[in-house]
Amino acid sequence: MTKIFLHPLPIRIWHWVNAFAFILLILTGAQIKLGNAIHFFSFHTAVKIHSWLGWILVFNYFIWVVYYFSTGNIKIYIPPLHHPIEFAKKALRQAKFYGWGIMVGDENPHHSTFENKFNPMQQVSYLMIMVALIPLQLITGMLLWDPKLFEPIVNIAGGLQIVDLIHVFLWIFFSAFIIVHFYLATLGHTPMAHITAMFTGYEELHDDHGHGHGHGEHGNKHETEHSGSHEHTEKSSH
Amino acid sequence: MYKKRFLLVFLLVSFIFCPMYIFAAKGGSAENNKLCLQCHSDKTLNKKLLNKEILSLYINGNEFAASVHGKISCSGCHIDINMDNHPQSKRIPSRQDYALSVSRNCSICHTEAQLNQRQPIHKALAAKGPCIECHGSHYIRPTAINKAGVQENAYCLTCHRNKISMRMKNGETLSVYVDENAFASSVHAKLLCKDCHSEFSKTQHPVRTFNSRRAYTIETSNLCGKCHKDASKLYETSVHIEQLKGGNEKAPACVDCHGDHSIASTKKDKSIGIVSCNKCHNEMNASYEASMHGKARNKGDEKAPSCASCHNAHNVESAKMTTKIKDGCLKCHKDAAKLHTKWLKNPPVGLSTFSVAHFDAVSCAACHSPNADRGIYLTIYDRKTNKPLSEDEIIKTLGLESDGLMKKFDSNSDGFIEPKEMWNIFAELFKKGQRITFMGNMDVQKATDAHMIGNKSEGVKDCDKCHKPDAELFQNVFVVVKKSDGKPLIIPAKKEVLNSIYTILPMSKFYVLGSSSVKLLDIIFIVALIGGIAVPIGHITFRIITSPIRALRRMGKGGKK
Repeated sequence: MTKIFLHPLPIRIWHWVNAFAFILLILTGAQIKLGNAIHFFSFHTAVKIHSWLGWILVFNYFIWVVYYFSTGNIKIYIPPLHHPIEFAKKALRQAKFYGWGIMVGDENPHHSTFENKFNPMQQVSYLMIMVALIPLQLITGMLLWDPKLFEPIVNIAGGLQIVDLIHVFLWIFFSAFIIVHFYLATLGHTPMAHITAMFTGYEELHDDHGHGHGHGEHGNKHETEHSGSHEHTEKSSH
Repeated sequence: MYKKRFLLVFLLVSFIFCPMYIFAAKGGSAENNKLCLQCHSDKTLNKKLLNKEILSLYINGNEFAASVHGKISCSGCHIDINMDNHPQSKRIPSRQDYALSVSRNCSICHTEAQLNQRQPIHKALAAKGPCIECHGSHYIRPTAINKAGVQENAYCLTCHRNKISMRMKNGETLSVYVDENAFASSVHAKLLCKDCHSEFSKTQHPVRTFNSRRAYTIETSNLCGKCHKDASKLYETSVHIEQLKGGNEKAPACVDCHGDHSIASTKKDKSIGIVSCNKCHNEMNASYEASMHGKARNKGDEKAPSCASCHNAHNVESAKMTTKIKDGCLKCHKDAAKLHTKWLKNPPVGLSTFSVAHFDAVSCAACHSPNADRGIYLTIYDRKTNKPLSEDEIIKTLGLESDGLMKKFDSNSDGFIEPKEMWNIFAELFKKGQRITFMGNMDVQKATDAHMIGNKSEGVKDCDKCHKPDAELFQNVFVVVKKSDGKPLIIPAKKEVLNSIYTILPMSKFYVLGSSSVKLLDIIFIVALIGGIAVPIGHITFRIITSPIRALRRMGKGGKK
């Protein structure tokens, strides 16, 4: 069985800190907002956890920024917009795969390479999430964290109610997203394939097809420890 | 003897047949006066009056001779004295009474018409005191000499030390008496009268008319600003001047608190901040006395706050229309923001700005007055100027009749502002180009409660009291509009205004974690969650249904191989 390296250590750390923080932030957020309906934590505890994790997420975001921009690998997030029609066709094919192909046992149309890690649908959604939605969630969170300290920015935004509205809408989006995200992560050639790869960095290729499913944020036949400058595949004993 | 009798007969005849003033002016007789002075030059000559006052009857002949009336005989003025029955045992109640009765005789020569013409100020006097009180009696000197000889203040006091008063247009009378002893012990003792009353001096005394005593007081208070520029500038921003300008004449001007001629230094008279406020705000006193502050003050702690400590002395503010009252608290509790961060903080750090964010929206009393009823007050602010928008301005912008505001706001007339109604106010003003925002703050409902500041340990510390849907302290909501007199117009609102989609824009600057969030978003959250769960469930279901197809294809592929 072929084992390929997909996720360098900084990205694995970033991903799991993100995952852990996001889940707890969503839950504590729910506790803060729906305090009379749910009772996971006391308000005070929920706010404490939410504030701590919010800041952890801010610093965590910088791990992502520093890694992807310093290595230049950020290009895997950028859709090839200079070929819009081709890109749209690819995206459509990918959607068809998830909607029907996967049911009838078609091969995943996306064959990942290290330079092209994400399928078109992932590329668009992760780009949006990483450069717009997460920063917006972090910034609105910071404004809510101390509205007086950031008063000028709060005023530019139109008031604290507006800031909160953005923060809550994104909370709703991420709550739904994280469920779908977790499900899609189980759509590798085995349910645990993508998830294991996110821990070890390596994903087993499905030998039947010769390529990994390009799903999730994983699925790549290239191995790059840090710089991605050299590539090789590795045969695993299992 | 014969000669004397003849003289008396002549005098009697003169009294009857000659115009009296001619007699008084021309009939002076040194001899006649000598006769009177035979007795009245005795310095010990006096008379005990009914009120036990002693009235000196001594006349200094020389001084009298040098006076403007020196050539007039005694009987020219004292027409009721007849040598046939003099001295007689007259029953005179008091010096004042005597002065009044004697002064009546001045009008024999100095008719009212003549006085009013020569010095119109006589006309403005409502209660004319006895002439002799201002002008003296036997030793009256020409005014010019009199002015030259006395100091400015003494000259004014010549008249104003007497109980004279002036008449107002509305028929009221105003005492223009000055208590010279009180003035001498006042903080202004060294000032000249004209330093304040700049229109008046030894040479000029304009006749002024005022609508009422109150109008006089208000106008006179403007004089203070000549020296006390800073205080006057601050007063110009106070709720009191706003009320005065709005037509509420009861609102205090300078002298209402400080007094006029007896004015004391506020450094010495510490009671001014309480006593003068209590003249109008007496209902607040009991709650103040029961507070930590009042108790401390009563125990003799001079640093304990009085009214002005929080509400300011001159730029007095209404607690309902401002959040600045807290500045008064923070004057003493300087480290309040820092102290609150011990428990009022968002980790990982405790910044005082976080406390200040709370201070901005929650009055100190809302937490520290333990038994108070709290309310959420949503004040209409002009978004551009960041100041409360007045009732008049709204009425003008919307083109309403003067009493049409409430009708406009509470369109279904149920006595409460509802979320939709709040949106209508916002939208209609927006259409007219007026951008508003409802600035929210939490305060005690009754002003008396605001003064009942309790012990530190009694303060509200429980986050859940506010930061929870339907929170305990968010049950009473009001919309506040500033009236033209500076007072607030408080209209009850439904508490749903805090959680409605209609109020997101009108209340965009007021947000309270947990208790002011929009209910619709909770529903969207649940729908999104269900949607998020439905995607995998649906997909898995289809994968299960289609699993035979995949199995067949795999078999087909296997077969090929």
